Amino acid sequence: MNIRGVHIEDTFAEAFGMSAARVIVTAVNERWARASAQALTGFATSIIACKCEAAIERELTPDETPDGRPGISALFFAMDSVGLGKRLVERIGHTVLTCPTTSCFDGLPDAADRVTPGRALRVFGDRFQISKIVGGRRYWRVPVMEGEFLVQESFGVLKNGVGGGNFLILAEDEASGLAAAEAGVAAMAEVPGVILPFPGGVARSGSKIGARGYASLIASTNDAYCPTLRASTDSALPEGVNSVLEFVLDGLDADAIRRAMRVGIDAACRPGVRAITAGNYGGNLGKHKFHLHEIMNGTS
Amino acid sequence: MSEHVTLTLRGGLDGALEVEGVAGDRFAALSQGEIAALPVWLGARTARLGDFFDVTGERSSTIRVVGPVDDVARVNGLGAGMSAGELTIDGDAGARVGARMTGGRVDVLGNAGDDAGMAMAGGVLKVRGRAGDRLGAAAPGASKGMTGGEIVVAGSAGADAGARARRGLIVVGGDAGRDAARATIAGTLVVFGRTGPDPGRASKRGSIIALGEIVPPATYWYACTYQPPHVRLTLTYLRRQYGFAVDARILDGRYRRYCGDSGTPGRGEILELVAS
Repeated sequence: MNIRGVHIEDTFAEAFGMSAARVIVTAVNERWARASAQALTGFATSIIACKCEAAIERELTPDETPDGRPGISALFFAMDSVGLGKRLVERIGHTVLTCPTTSCFDGLPDAADRVTPGRALRVFGDRFQISKIVGGRRYWRVPVMEGEFLVQESFGVLKNGVGGGNFLILAEDEASGLAAAEAGVAAMAEVPGVILPFPGGVARSGSKIGARGYASLIASTNDAYCPTLRASTDSALPEGVNSVLEFVLDGLDADAIRRAMRVGIDAACRPGVRAITAGNYGGNLGKHKFHLHEIMNGTS
Repeated sequence: MSEHVTLTLRGGLDGALEVEGVAGDRFAALSQGEIAALPVWLGARTARLGDFFDVTGERSSTIRVVGPVDDVARVNGLGAGMSAGELTIDGDAGARVGARMTGGRVDVLGNAGDDAGMAMAGGVLKVRGRAGDRLGAAAPGASKGMTGGEIVVAGSAGADAGARARRGLIVVGGDAGRDAARATIAGTLVVFGRTGPDPGRASKRGSIIALGEIVPPATYWYACTYQPPHVRLTLTYLRRQYGFAVDARILDGRYRRYCGDSGTPGRGEILELVAS
């Protein structure tokens, strides 16, 4: 397959089932909502070391938020709902509760499975907290020095979330790769239900399972895709490729991943990009397989 | 099974008619004949629903009550104990409409009598006109009034609105009478108009959100003036869900917080909108 001169390899991205939550942060204005949401989703690039993966999904207009203020929605992914609940308690408690003017709401109200970070966080109020039920949903008013922090008691969890969707840009040089990556990020940012948890939406340090030289490492550099190691290892890079960047996608379901990969790959097919490929582990580890050709043909 | 059941009051009631079982969940399982055979009381006399109402339709959880306005207003207990379905009263309702509801929706297109939503535990009671005394309050002798659900009155409400409420949301679009939210255990009363004398007396943990004039009792202490986030959430919900006219003045407004009542744990509150 070839898109505007870019070779699309006949391979697939291998991804994993994860539990997912959507957190809505509102504030007096977009500035404070974003400040809180950025901290909320900070250091959440990879489940390996960060215990969860998270990023801002999109900005919300006042018409889209429960309290009619500007807001940000963020998606969170963890291996199970128990872990997800713990991460939400830690992160909301230290980055939203602490941020001036913010309130925190569940963004998956129809999800049957629930975790209850608001119930855990209420105790910060030291028995001065107050419960309110609005529209059948319970909220906690936690007194803070600025006034009150309002947090919803329970947050919905989707157990059919997907983590680790991916594709790689194989570019002639750093500038071409970066331009393609930025175009891909911009295109995928428009797809609801998907986040790109790495900085700016892109990772330069794709990894392989384990390590060649260190038995204790669970992941190490993907030497087959490192241009500097072309002469030193069993390289997977075609001739002329001197820079590789990877997108990692987490989505609320597999369809969201497919939609994002389709527009992302299409946008990344730019001058200076030789090929698009994807990372997998032979198909034996992950629950999901996203075949690039099927996605771009619209048959998947 | 019908799309809905219509009860048409023939008129000419010479006293209050007490009905029982006029509820969406009950009608969903009853034939036309069984509906007509439901017991009613006119004073001390026991009769059948069909003696006063023409019944059309059967086995539906959607009910409409129609008839001469003055007469329907004398029918007490409509929607009492309802757990599901929809009941629309095409005019005024008598006493205890929606009392002890646990689910479903009762819509009174006119006014409601006393004890509307009494001891309600769930569902929605909507009154397009005024409501009488003891809206969402406790049954006589009971320790708790409303324990859940939402009561929304477009007009004014009488005395004792929300008395002894344990949980739930009561909204009064107009004025509320004296002793509003008396002895509440928890829950929220929103009053868009003026709140009458002695609000929140003996309240333990309830909230009064007063968007109009209110005089907090001397047994409430001033705490601060701020923008309560839950007030904004509640008002935004009321605008979206029920179409209340909520403008920026009250949405972005600052509220004086008074805590009381001093004779009880003192964790109740009155939030008074600061006039801009």
